[in-house]
Amino acid sequence: MAVSDLAQTSKAELSVRGGRVDAARLSMLALVAILLLAPLLAGGFLLYSLSLCFANALAVLSVSMLVRYGGEVSIGHSFFVALGAYAVAIVEHRLGLSIVVSLPLAILLGAGAGFVFAFPSRRLSGIYLAVATMALALALPEILIGFEKFTGGFEGLYIAQDLIPGIPKALQRYYVALGVLVIVCLALAHFRKSAQGLALLMAQAQPRAAEAMGITRSWARISIFTLSAALASLAGALTGFASSTVSPNSFTFFSGVFLLVGSVVSLNRLSLPAALVGGAFITLVPTYLAQAGDWVPILYGVALVVVTLVANAGDLRRFLPRGRGR
Amino acid sequence: MSVAGFIRDVLPLLWSGLISGCLYGVGALGLVMVFKSSRVVNFSHGNLACLGAFVVYGFSSGSLLSLSWGSAVALALGIACAVAVVSYVLIAPIVFKSDLASTIATLGVGLILQGAVQLVFGADIVNLDLPVPRLSFSLDAIRISSYDLAVLVVTLAIVGGLFVIIERTKLGVAFRAVSTNPFACEVCGLNLRSVHLFSWLAGAVLGLVAALLIVPTTFLSSTTVPSFMLQAFTAAVVGGFSSLPGAAVGGILVGIAMNLFSFYVAPEFMNTFLLGVILLTLNFFPNGLLERAIGGRV
Repeated sequence: MAVSDLAQTSKAELSVRGGRVDAARLSMLALVAILLLAPLLAGGFLLYSLSLCFANALAVLSVSMLVRYGGEVSIGHSFFVALGAYAVAIVEHRLGLSIVVSLPLAILLGAGAGFVFAFPSRRLSGIYLAVATMALALALPEILIGFEKFTGGFEGLYIAQDLIPGIPKALQRYYVALGVLVIVCLALAHFRKSAQGLALLMAQAQPRAAEAMGITRSWARISIFTLSAALASLAGALTGFASSTVSPNSFTFFSGVFLLVGSVVSLNRLSLPAALVGGAFITLVPTYLAQAGDWVPILYGVALVVVTLVANAGDLRRFLPRGRGR
Repeated sequence: MSVAGFIRDVLPLLWSGLISGCLYGVGALGLVMVFKSSRVVNFSHGNLACLGAFVVYGFSSGSLLSLSWGSAVALALGIACAVAVVSYVLIAPIVFKSDLASTIATLGVGLILQGAVQLVFGADIVNLDLPVPRLSFSLDAIRISSYDLAVLVVTLAIVGGLFVIIERTKLGVAFRAVSTNPFACEVCGLNLRSVHLFSWLAGAVLGLVAALLIVPTTFLSSTTVPSFMLQAFTAAVVGGFSSLPGAAVGGILVGIAMNLFSFYVAPEFMNTFLLGVILLTLNFFPNGLLERAIGGRV
């Protein structure tokens, strides 16, 4: 559905531009087509990993969105991801309802939690928010284990209900995750051009100019964090749906840091390929390097340092000849 | 509950909160020094302290070598300082350009150190005691042990030494100048890098000392020390994140508050409590609880 939208808008634009072939748009369509056809070739485990990749790609997008529009770092987005995942699980256990109900609920919960969390540091510089997200990430495991009655404690909960009964589970997980990812990417591309998106960017780049137009910095900070948390919670709902289970094991302190790693590795870009790279990096590396467990943090750490340094490489050249900053 | 019973409960809680609070304060001082001079939040602080504590364990317990405790500590201090220098050199090219990018890079360094600890020492949980005789005496309802006194003495020595360096030496004057106005310092020909390096080294030493002193009360594993640093971060936020006395007092306040919370409310929600403290402080006292009492200076 979303893909046909993409195709139509793309065709419309092609004709508007007098038939000039837009390579970027075509390759994007090709990528979506390949992903749509992948289940014909891929086996069960690969399909499962890919579904998780899509869900994680969404979570990575939520962190990238915060960096892009808010200029802020979060290492605690695992909290909002967990919120979405547990919302799906608890709605199914308590009310017996499927993801049709819990997905919108997860988005609302994430937005609410994001608002409450971002509000206290609205007037402070981003580092205060970063420190608060660290506390958020460390508090998450004990909350999940402490409220055993709802969360199932250490064992967690299972998610069994289908979205559409009758279709094989693996295919459902795969296509739901892929569909939401593509829709979110389209929405983000639209958001970049929208008045709201531009207002947020202006509040970050030119706070005084933005203030003159009635957009205060603190309003911009709260709203971008709220949006980002809602997206993270949506990602969490899909993670829960795609993996059929939620447990504190998947939400340790490091899962929040890893989301940031995924975002940095995808250069904080908000496009579909970037999100896939980030999502794949944090999903597939631990899966395929399971024997080399302790090397994973080192690999991630090196990736974080190297990418951060190279992304600011303009400064490297300036640094070398003089031996001093500035 | 009777008043006498309440006092009998509260006094030991206040005392042990004060002791652990001193250590949170020492941890927070390291964070604040780095932040004041280079505007970077050092997320590798806890991981570096953890590595240092494991080095002391490895070299004094016989798992790598069996040196005396003192020489193991000297070795650990050397390694911690070397790692601090390396991590500063890594982020040096971007430290003036973007606080955000440098802060992310320190997270990367922290991950590398975390992985290194897990690789060398595994996921074991070990004990690492201080080499002080186990003595204790009671003063009214408070039980004072030799460990408590050691913590107090070391904390006072460290904080006093730091105070003398910052107030009396040329380096200290430079540190204060850089944290007030880096641009003016550079115009005057001050080498910002050496001041940054000083604060990073001081941060590493403070972190290691805090870790070595806190570990005897719990145990040492690859996750305890990094999560202990949440207390240090909270102390720094309570103190305003850019005030050294604020960090020290914030540490003690956090220590006492945590003890009261875990005794009267719920010990299993410690980190959630700290999260609440951070959010409330940011909302109502964005420049720290002591802003008015001490003012902005160092």
